[in-house]
Amino acid sequence: MSDSVISVKTTRPKIDIADHAFTLIVVCLVGLVMNTVGPAIPIADGFVGMVVIYLISMVGLLLTRYAPFYLPSVAWISLVGIVATLPWTPGSEWIVAQAKSVNFLALATPALAYAGFAIAKKEIEVAKHSGWKLALVACLVFLGTYAGSVLVAELILRLQGV
Amino acid sequence: MNALRGQLELWRLHLAVIVLGVIAELIGIRKIPFGIGAILLLPLLYAFVMAALMNPNVMPKFAKFIRQKEVQAASPLIVIAIMPFIAKFGTTIGPAIETIIEAGPALLLQELGNLGTIVLAFPLAVWGLKMGREAIGATFSIAREPNLAIIADRYTLKSAEGTGVMGVYVLGTLFGTFIFAILASVFASLDVFDPRALAMACGIGSGSMMAACTGALTEVIPGMKDEILALAGASNLLTYATGLYAGLFIALPIVEKLYNATAGKNDLATATKKEV
Repeated sequence: MSDSVISVKTTRPKIDIADHAFTLIVVCLVGLVMNTVGPAIPIADGFVGMVVIYLISMVGLLLTRYAPFYLPSVAWISLVGIVATLPWTPGSEWIVAQAKSVNFLALATPALAYAGFAIAKKEIEVAKHSGWKLALVACLVFLGTYAGSVLVAELILRLQGV
Repeated sequence: MNALRGQLELWRLHLAVIVLGVIAELIGIRKIPFGIGAILLLPLLYAFVMAALMNPNVMPKFAKFIRQKEVQAASPLIVIAIMPFIAKFGTTIGPAIETIIEAGPALLLQELGNLGTIVLAFPLAVWGLKMGREAIGATFSIAREPNLAIIADRYTLKSAEGTGVMGVYVLGTLFGTFIFAILASVFASLDVFDPRALAMACGIGSGSMMAACTGALTEVIPGMKDEILALAGASNLLTYATGLYAGLFIALPIVEKLYNATAGKNDLATATKKEV
């Protein structure tokens, strides 16, 4: 992770589509194992669901690479997932039904395992040197962003009366 | 087929992720009673901790199976592993488009709630803990990648401001998922707030923290699972889109002005004293 920290990229990264296509298959297969073990979704259903998820991710990646303007891959993938499941998109009911066979928490489990393995020496050093003061501030930063958003959203929802 | 060979050479890493992931999924979601509510422990948290314990940089003694090669390869894999997760969230937003539109004004304006980092953390950092310019980098945002880029661009990451933002970034990487699982558990068990508001607040521009946050919420309020996922996903997407600009044009200028108007004056005073 330290590498990404040092070279923060603001320009469009060149994505190797073939490379990503294969790596994404590996990651989806790992996700399918979690989906079968944890939420106990039948593997046949989970497999079709995962194929749909894979295709959405791939279309998102292709847009990240070739669209006339740049958005981060996560934004494109979200947008493809949204458009594919809007009620007025043809076939969206089928896509929604398949995607329901994939549990979102089961997909997060391997991502966090990779994150645990990716902890770099530099990050351990930064964490150690930051000290208790910065740790305390960090806790309030997270509390602040969550509580702030909850309070604003609550207020607006009540004002709207919805 | 370089990609094929590359991933096959990483079999240790993928195997370790599968084994730890399966263990984590088998343990499942656990509730720890805490005060009036409960704190939720999620498989993704166990997976992270177990992987960290096998990481040679964290536990040099235990870590034999995973080498520096795997550690370096794991970093870009996080980004790819989060893609199916983001795609899944997208598919929850489409069917709930009416809910999203109904909650549209709240959804848009709660992005401003992210300035809560300044309201809560800045006073503590500057007046409570007497921190210097580190406080600027540490408190203007939740320090995810776009915010790092802002500070790197304006002050460089080696400056005091850079130290602040890097510290919170790393602490967030290491402990953010736990903090958000706890925050969401506690806020939801208070039973005061609209679950839709709790869900929107989960979208902070980090996939893993959103996972922990929504995972905890859907456990406490299972009846609203679809709405929670859709609103959190929409809010997260909105943060991806607006976070960089909100940080650059709103949050950072506010923090800089606050700092210069208060603590910064002391800095100047001591600086001139030294010169005399």
